[in-house]
This record gives sequence, structure tokens and C-alpha cells, in this order.
Amino acid sequence: MTDQTTAVTGGRAHGRAGGQAGGGAAEPRDEPDRRADAKPRNNRAWLLVLPVVVSVTFTALIPLMTVVNYSVQDIFSPNDRIFVGLEWFRAVTRDPEIRAAFLRTLLFSAQVLLVEIPLGVAIAVAMPRRGFWVSVALVVVALPLLIPWNVVGTIWQIFARADIGLGGWTINHVLGIDFNYTLDSTDAWLTVLIMDVWHWTPLVALLAYAALRSIPDPYFQAAQIDGASAWATFRRIQLPRLRGVLTIAILLRFMDSFMIYTEPFVVTGGGPGNATSFLSVLLSKIAVGQFDLGPAGAFSLLYFLIVQIVSYVFFTVLTRTGR
Amino acid sequence: MPDWMVWTPPTALVFTGLALLLCVMAVWARFSPPVARRGFLRIETDRGDRLYIGLISAAVVLAGWIAVTDLSMWLALACALLVAVVIGIWG
Repeated sequence: MTDQTTAVTGGRAHGRAGGQAGGGAAEPRDEPDRRADAKPRNNRAWLLVLPVVVSVTFTALIPLMTVVNYSVQDIFSPNDRIFVGLEWFRAVTRDPEIRAAFLRTLLFSAQVLLVEIPLGVAIAVAMPRRGFWVSVALVVVALPLLIPWNVVGTIWQIFARADIGLGGWTINHVLGIDFNYTLDSTDAWLTVLIMDVWHWTPLVALLAYAALRSIPDPYFQAAQIDGASAWATFRRIQLPRLRGVLTIAILLRFMDSFMIYTEPFVVTGGGPGNATSFLSVLLSKIAVGQFDLGPAGAFSLLYFLIVQIVSYVFFTVLTRTGR
Repeated sequence: MPDWMVWTPPTALVFTGLALLLCVMAVWARFSPPVARRGFLRIETDRGDRLYIGLISAAVVLAGWIAVTDLSMWLALACALLVAVVIGIWG
């Protein structure tokens, strides 16, 4: 307590000294020494972080520790459990179904990135830069982002249905292509992929649009004077400016698509067969459906490890782009 | 600790170890503040960053090990700790 009081007084004294120095503007004499001595060391601001610490402890840390505990035991009931060491991790990493789901999720994320990033940039480039249509374009592009995940799933579940859905019916009866996402695994995959593209390309487009808007007009005027083609303008002026936001967009979209759950759960439920059972869908089946806490715990931790690594890369990139 | 957390001695030991490690890092930072620098990871890290990267890398080594080989996990642990130490010192 005494320490804190001294520290606060020290801080105030330093503030006053700073004010005086600012007024006189010609007294740099013993400034460095005083700063080193009287630097305010009031750590009470840490108390403001306490609510976050408490809520994270209860919503994340304690559940995570419990999951770790689950992952090393075979649990029949709270009083009837056996320690099995790392056996569940061995079983989970070698399970063909889980390995297939892992590859499937990676493939899905790769396809999502391959489609959404170029498409988002194309939309951003095509969007108007000024005038009345800017607002219209922004609202239209942002609309899918405002819809909750399960509603997106429901919309597409009905839209893609061959009998009553507008999209599914059109493909079957107007284009004459046999399309049924409840029976055909390719159709189901495409439905989920196109749904994700519809839902999340706007995010990439808006990020890219914001970056493009920040390019000063003289760049484009110079390009015009030099007689640069539209492609050269894009390649040499716009694309370099997009580097930062595209890195963020790629990481965000990778994370989200790698953790996708609600939409495929609502549209296909992971089917037909295993065609769209991504890691999260399979995990919830094991954890909540079969109530196999041990394997589900081990599975979650490995899944968490991957997400954790990508998050850290994301965090590092995000904090370093500012520098 | 509540019963529903179904603690086991090994997991309790691991978490106690991690908590102690964080305490040691906090005390160490109090007496000698961490300095950010660049190592073979090519990004600017201080010792806390390297501890985190080291622990995550150790976890990756353990997970990879158990996925591909039946050799002893103690050997895996040794490799994982080695990785963490190398990152901690030269990362």
C-alpha cells in the first residue's frame, strides 16, 4: 500500500514537472534522471483486467482443464473411471474416420480460399469508388454477413432442395442436370461450398474494398498518364496495397472454414454418408451423440492445437502489420 | 477442486507445472524485464513468446509422434523438451 501511494505521488510529481518543462521548454537538464526515478509504477490498472480473467477462467480455462482430464481417462460415471494415459490420443490420431475428416476439412478450407479470395478481390475492384452506388453496393455485398449461421444453413437447405427449392428446382428442371444434395455426395459438397462462398466472400470483398479505397487518386492518374492497362494498374498499384488485408482475410477465412459446423450441420448433417462430415461435425457426433468423453477430449485438444497455431500466426501477422 | 473436473494425478501435475512456470516467468520478468530480439524464427520475440512457441511446438512433436510411431512416449517427451529448449534459447 505504501509502495503504491509513493508511486502515485511520484507519478503526479513527474506530471507537474513535465508541465513546467513544457511551459519553459528549455530545461532539459536532469530530465532523464528524474524520468527514470519517478516513472509511475502504479499497477492497479491490472485490476481492470480482472473481470476478463475471471470470465475466461470460467468459460475457457476450467472447461479446457476438464477436457484434458477427460482425454486421459475412460469414464463410465464420475465415480467409475480408469486412467488410460495417452491411449485416446493414439486411437484418435490413427482413426481412419477422423483422418478422413481432417483431410476433408483441409480440402474444404483450401477450396474456400481458392474461390473466396480471388472472387472477393474481383468484387472489391468492381465496386464503385464514389457516388450513390457506393452505399447500394456496400449494403448488397454486406447483406449475407448479417445473417446468422443457422439461418444461412436453413436458407440453403431449402434453396437447394430439388423439389421445392428455387435453386435445386432450377438446376433439375430448367438446366436438366440431376442434382440432389441429400443423395449425391458431390452435390452435397458443392452445396456447402457454394453456401460458404455466398456467406463469406463479402467479408473478403469488404476488407479488400477498404484497402483499395485508401489508395490516393494520384496513383491512378499517374497510371493513366503512363497508359497503363487495367491489368497493369491492378497488378502494380492495387494488388501490392492489398497484401496486408489479404493476409488477414486468408487467415480469417482459413480459421472459420476449418472450424465450420453450423451450416453443414443444418444443411446436410454431415451426409450423405460421410461426404460433408467435417472435423467439427464428427467431433460433436463423438462427444454429444455417442458421449465418448475420452476420445472426444483427445480429439478436441488436437483440434484446438491446430486452431491455436493458426490463431498465433494470425495474431503475429496482425500485430506486426501495424509496425 | 470440484468432482466433475475428474482430476487425475498426472494432469494435476502438468497443470501445476504450467502454473509454476508462469509464476517463475512473472517473477523473472519483475527482476530482469524481457528483451525482444530476433533469433532463427526470424520474428521478434521476447522470452515469454518463445516459451509459448516452444510449448506449442513441443505439443506438436508429441502429437505427431503418437500419430506415426509406437516408440516410447518418454523418448517423444525428451524430443519435445529439446525442441522447447532450443526455441527458448535460440528462437
